[in-house]
Amino acid sequence: MNKSITILFGTESGNAEFAAEDMASEVLDRSVEVIDMSDFEVDTFSKENLYLIICSTHGEGELPSGALPFHEALQTMNPDLTGIEYAMFGLGDSSYENYSKGSEHIDSKLSSLGATRVGEYGRHDADTGTLPSARAVAWVREILKAY
Amino acid sequence: MAQDSTPSVAIVGGGPSGCYLAQFLRKEFKESRITIFDSLPLPYGLIRFGVAPDHVGTKAVAAQFDRLFEVEGVEFVGNTEIGKDKQLDDVLNEYDVVVLATGLGGDRKMGIPGETLAGIYGAGRITRLINSHPFETLDGLEVGSVLAIIGHGNVAIDLIRLSLLAPQQLTMHGVHREVAEKIASSTVSQIYVVGRSGIEHAKFDPAMIRELEKIPGVKFISDAKISSHDDKEVQKRIEALNHLVRSSPPSAARTVNFFFGWQPDMIHGNAKVQSIAFKSKSDEILELRVDTIYTAIGFEQAEGSLIHLENLISSESDLAHGFIRDRLYCVGWLRRGPQGTIPVNRADAKKVSERIIQDLRDKTLVKVRERQ
Repeated sequence: MNKSITILFGTESGNAEFAAEDMASEVLDRSVEVIDMSDFEVDTFSKENLYLIICSTHGEGELPSGALPFHEALQTMNPDLTGIEYAMFGLGDSSYENYSKGSEHIDSKLSSLGATRVGEYGRHDADTGTLPSARAVAWVREILKAY
Repeated sequence: MAQDSTPSVAIVGGGPSGCYLAQFLRKEFKESRITIFDSLPLPYGLIRFGVAPDHVGTKAVAAQFDRLFEVEGVEFVGNTEIGKDKQLDDVLNEYDVVVLATGLGGDRKMGIPGETLAGIYGAGRITRLINSHPFETLDGLEVGSVLAIIGHGNVAIDLIRLSLLAPQQLTMHGVHREVAEKIASSTVSQIYVVGRSGIEHAKFDPAMIRELEKIPGVKFISDAKISSHDDKEVQKRIEALNHLVRSSPPSAARTVNFFFGWQPDMIHGNAKVQSIAFKSKSDEILELRVDTIYTAIGFEQAEGSLIHLENLISSESDLAHGFIRDRLYCVGWLRRGPQGTIPVNRADAKKVSERIIQDLRDKTLVKVRERQ
């Protein structure tokens, strides 16, 4: 049976949230929810769900403010995420150093807690002058085909 | 009678704060009439006219707001300045909730003698011009070969970059050729960038400094007095500037000098600016011969603005949450002053939207149609 989809977004300017909502409208064959990382309880990760994580980059390759509480909670609560599956999509701007680094902080934290990343690591470059939505939607289609 | 789920909302000002607010309110009130008024024919304010044209990633946020008008049923009424083309009281009569989001669009003045001489321009004027603002013209703008930029914020760094880029690097981003040739002029040979604080208090982001490294044929010099600092953010700023200075060629046709700790004191000239003098904290004098000055020392209420917050607030106002009085709110720079980037104004809009939604839930707002 296909897993339910939980889309977690971490945003600063709203671009990741905007894309997360567009991603959700691609999910037609199973249940889907969109949650701001800041509102997500890290002890509620479930093996029944596939987590699609979209996160931007702030300043010098740092996490956006909307992802900080989530990252901190993972750090302090150290949940055992063995068996949890997630896919990752990072936003960034290649005209800056540390392009797309924000999402990688979340990615390495989740893997170190035992979770498994599936599928392609998706990325969008803001230096193209576009919003991440179109790329993120195309990425979701591929993920949904495979998982 | 109106349903509680459909309060009508007017937002005065279609810049980032107003548009973010419309987004948050639309999420809560799916069926509401939401109108954004703007004095200009086009929305997006600072995103369109303040963000540098080559920062396409920052400008891309406007595409979020396109959807408000294209899909989400938010109405845009341009060419309508509240207080002139339509009165605030009339808007309050037509809508249940009115939110002021007019920002702070004026260049802050230095407040020193000589400031009205020809050859001195506010950063806002330059960025509006470069972004094809409908009311901005090249009339009277003369850019010489020796330029002083006053201020050490990101806007000042934008002005350095825009002055040094080749004109075609701006026209490829949609800047008018005449404007690009005037501002990104190859005749600029010397730029002084002067701030009143030391580098430890300068406001520019290191990423903005690193961007300058990509411009060829420029020698960078700095008089920053400290080379290390305990604060991590300050240290990054120092390192970025040191790296820029060290990696620039020993001699080049164009030079940029950063000066730290110099307060503007007086501008000299006969009709046109000829030099500007600065004072340090210990009363040393620095005088620079220049033919053009850009001021980038922050923003304030624009001259001729018709919305004045101080005339609207009273003891019942709760500006921390954007509440002015029954049914009237404010958001963004107008609410809390000219600090904070576009994402900071998103957080601001979220906070004010929560207050509005709460007030509507508590029914402290008496709806227009019930009052009449």
